[in-house]
Order: sequence, then structure tokens, then C-alpha cells
Amino acid sequence: MIRRLAREFDTAIGRAAIQLGLVVILLAAWETGVRSGLVSGFLLGQPSGIARNFWRQLADGALFYDTWVTLYESILGFFIGTVAGSILGLGLWYSRFVARTVEPLIVAFNSVPKIAFAPIVILWFGTGLSSKVALAISLTAIVALIAAYQAAKDADPDLLSLLLTLGATKNQIFFKVVIPSSLPGIIATFRINVGFGLVGAVVGEFISSQRGLGHMIFTASSFYDLDTVWLGLFTLMGIGFVLYFVIDLIERRVLPWKLDPHRAELHV
Amino acid sequence: MPPSPPKLALRDIRKSFASASGPVRVLDGLSFDIFEGDFVSIIGPSGCGKTTIFNIVAGLVAADGGTLSYEGRLVAGLRGRVGYMMQKDLLLPWRTVLGNVVLGLELRGVERTVAREKAHHYLELYGLGGFENAYPGTLSGGMRQRAALIRTLITDPDILLLDEPFSALDYQTRLYLEGVLMEAVAAFNKTVILVTHDVDEAVALSRRVVVLNRRPTTVKAIHEIDIGEHSPIGARSDPKFSGYFKSLCNELEIQTGGRQA
Repeated sequence: MIRRLAREFDTAIGRAAIQLGLVVILLAAWETGVRSGLVSGFLLGQPSGIARNFWRQLADGALFYDTWVTLYESILGFFIGTVAGSILGLGLWYSRFVARTVEPLIVAFNSVPKIAFAPIVILWFGTGLSSKVALAISLTAIVALIAAYQAAKDADPDLLSLLLTLGATKNQIFFKVVIPSSLPGIIATFRINVGFGLVGAVVGEFISSQRGLGHMIFTASSFYDLDTVWLGLFTLMGIGFVLYFVIDLIERRVLPWKLDPHRAELHV
Repeated sequence: MPPSPPKLALRDIRKSFASASGPVRVLDGLSFDIFEGDFVSIIGPSGCGKTTIFNIVAGLVAADGGTLSYEGRLVAGLRGRVGYMMQKDLLLPWRTVLGNVVLGLELRGVERTVAREKAHHYLELYGLGGFENAYPGTLSGGMRQRAALIRTLITDPDILLLDEPFSALDYQTRLYLEGVLMEAVAAFNKTVILVTHDVDEAVALSRRVVVLNRRPTTVKAIHEIDIGEHSPIGARSDPKFSGYFKSLCNELEIQTGGRQA
């Protein structure tokens, strides 16, 4: 059956139609389930209620404002954490001694679930923007650092040899081979880190905040306002989704050589 | 043999590598000379340390013992003065053909416009004009290796170290690139050391062939090749070709212990 579907629908439009269809079916089942009393709307919420909430919050600007706050916190945290982590990770390429010395410390730090830092981060940075950003940084920086260091270590030794025979200095090798050859690996972590940035922001908001989608979800759930909780969750999903494609766009821009127009598609 | 002193002399070069079962002696007192304008091929059984010799000459790896002298002076290695070409083209995938070709000039601090102009000239000369802005990933193996050859020649190195540069290519492309190489070597009067496992290629291209033993490696014999014709097809068609080919094969076959005979 899937084979037949694939024959008919395996185009961009066809796949989009199926994707949309699945979402519509799910929402319709949910709505009728609640209306017929089969499932509890009190515990599950209800699509029509979510939609009503969406329009109301859109009209009074609350949704936009909360989204903006969370987006701002997570992108700022993502950006600072990823850039700093990547630079440090690449920098470790310079000295095997330093890299080997700090490696267990990094692993140790990485082993702590960063969310566990949230209470002290709030203590140190307060309940405003900076604590959420700090949490997002703590989540993203380590991922970026480890990935960048690994990517730098994986640079093709034959390319390093080539540069040496051409008389290159260590700095030249770093900038002309190590950084460009690490970029694909570093950008691949952007995808993960965009999500971690959001986690940092939302968890920070859960613990203590005045605004943001995490705040909205947390307060609504304490009032059993499931429709608003879902609205927050779907908005977060939308943000993550959009950011993923933004990263995709950046990847195409920064790594034009990775695009292979002749790549054969193998059908198994 | 030219009467002048050697351009590059290897004397009693020794090198061991650590392995799980203790050190492995790879080079065990290796000596030979390379003269100005020489074309020397090194052949030998696989694993006999041909690439290690190159790494020592290029200054990538230090020898455990022995000396390397260049134009009469003792040197540690020829880093920055050799052009190294391997079986892998080693083009930087994130750079265009032009960007790859100028790499060596760029590293020496040659001004960008000067370097690019020179690169354009070389690319035209070797039939890659029009591919300046292509990424290596979109080129055929032969074109990539041609770009690698241009990158090697453009820095005007004293000695070309070629480590099986054509062995991954099909025979036609290989003959063609051998021809390009021989013309370039003649035009720019280059000194070449070629590592190959291909006796046919060694005879067709070189003036001398150094035959190595099995590990621990020493020089087994040096054969002078006296074929006037140096185009790849011309040399292979020369009446003396098969004689050299046969004697070198014999030399290698003795080392395989007659298993293949």
C-alpha cells in the first residue's frame, strides 16, 4: 500500500498534501472525541478551544509578546553559546597537551544534566532575561565545544601534510584547512543547539519568570487551562520548526561546495 | 650518470615505527642520489616504506638515523621546497579549482591578483580553462588530478615528489596525464622522484629506477633506463622498452619468492 501511495504521491505537493491530511485527521479525531465525551476535554484540551485561545491572544498581542521573549532568550543563548563553544573547541586543536588535559573536565561538566543548574542560575542571574540566556548558553556551549573539537581533530591528515610540504605555518593550516573542514560538523550541531537554546529558555521561564511561552505554559497548567498549554506547546513547535529551516538555509549559504547537483538517487 | 654532484643525497636513512608487537624497522640504511633534472622512479614490494621515504624527504617525518643533503648541505627535510602529489588529489573541497591552484602561492604571501593571473595562465595551459569556479566535487578524477598537478607545478618547487599520482585513474587518462607531466617536467626543467608500483610506468617515464627490497628496506638495485623517447606512448613503443620492463619484473619477482612465476 505504501508502495502504491509512493508511486502516486511522491512529489513535493503530494507529500505536503499527505502531511496536512494526517494533521487534519488527528485534530478532527481529537475534537470529535472530546465532543462526544469519549475523552475528557478537561484533561486533554480541545482543538476548537486552542483555536479560540489562539485568536484571542493574537488579537491582544499576548501571544506575540510571549513568543518574542522566548525567541529572543533562546536565540541569544544559542548564538553566544554556540559561537563561544565552537571557538574554544577549534582552539583546542592548537595544543594536544591542553586538549588532553581539559578533556575529562569537559566530559565531567557535560555529564551533569544542565537543567540541574537552573536553580543556581536563577539565584545568580535573577529572574529576568539574563538567567534564561545563561541557561541556554550552558546547554549549547558544551555541545558546540565538543563537536568543534572533534571536527577539528578529524581534519584529513593528508591535507595537513600537503599544507606542510607547501611550507604552511600552523596558523595558516588552522585557518585554511582546520576551520573550513570543521564547518560542516559545526553547522550540524546548530540544528541540535537551536533546540537546546529553546530548552534553556523555557526551563528558565518555568522556574521563575514574568513572560515568555514557558511562563504561559506553566501558569496555564496550574489553572488546568489545557487549551492555553497546548497553544504554548504548538507555538514552541512552530518556532523550532522555523529555526530548523533557517539553519538549513545558512548551511546552503555557507557550504555551497556540499551541494552536489549530480548526486545520484539510489532507490532501494 | 651526470658528472655533477647530486642535488639530493640520501645516506643510510633509517626509520622504525612503533607497533603493538614492538618497533618495526621500515627503512634499514637506505642510500641513493638524485641529480639535477633527474627523473627517478622508486619501485618495490608494497609496505616497503616508499611513502615513508617521501615523508622524510618532504620533512614531514624525521628519520631515526642517516643524513639528507640538499645541494651539498645537510638538511632536516625539504619542507616548502618540494611539490608533493599523492594518489588522492588532496584538493580542498571547499575551494574552487582556482582557489586550490593558488593555494601554494597564497601560503607564500604572493599578492592575490598576481597569484590569480598566474593560475589562470596555468589552467589555460593545461586545459582546465573555464573550470576556474567549479568545485572539485563536480569534476572527474582525471580533471581533479590535473588540477592537483597544476597546484604542484605553480609554486615552482625544486623537486617533485609523486606518490603513485596516477594509479587511481583509468589507463587513457593516465597516459594523458603522464604526457602532461613529462611536458611540464621538460618545459620547467624539474627534478622528479616518482613512487609507483607500476613497472610499466617506471620504465616509460624515468631515467633511473631504484628497486627496493622487502622490509626492512634497503636499495636492491638501481637501473639506468636509456630510452630517448620520453612521451608515454613513444617510450612504451620503443624497442628497448620490453627489455627494461622484463629485467625490472625479474628483479621484483625474485622478491616475491617465485610464487607468481
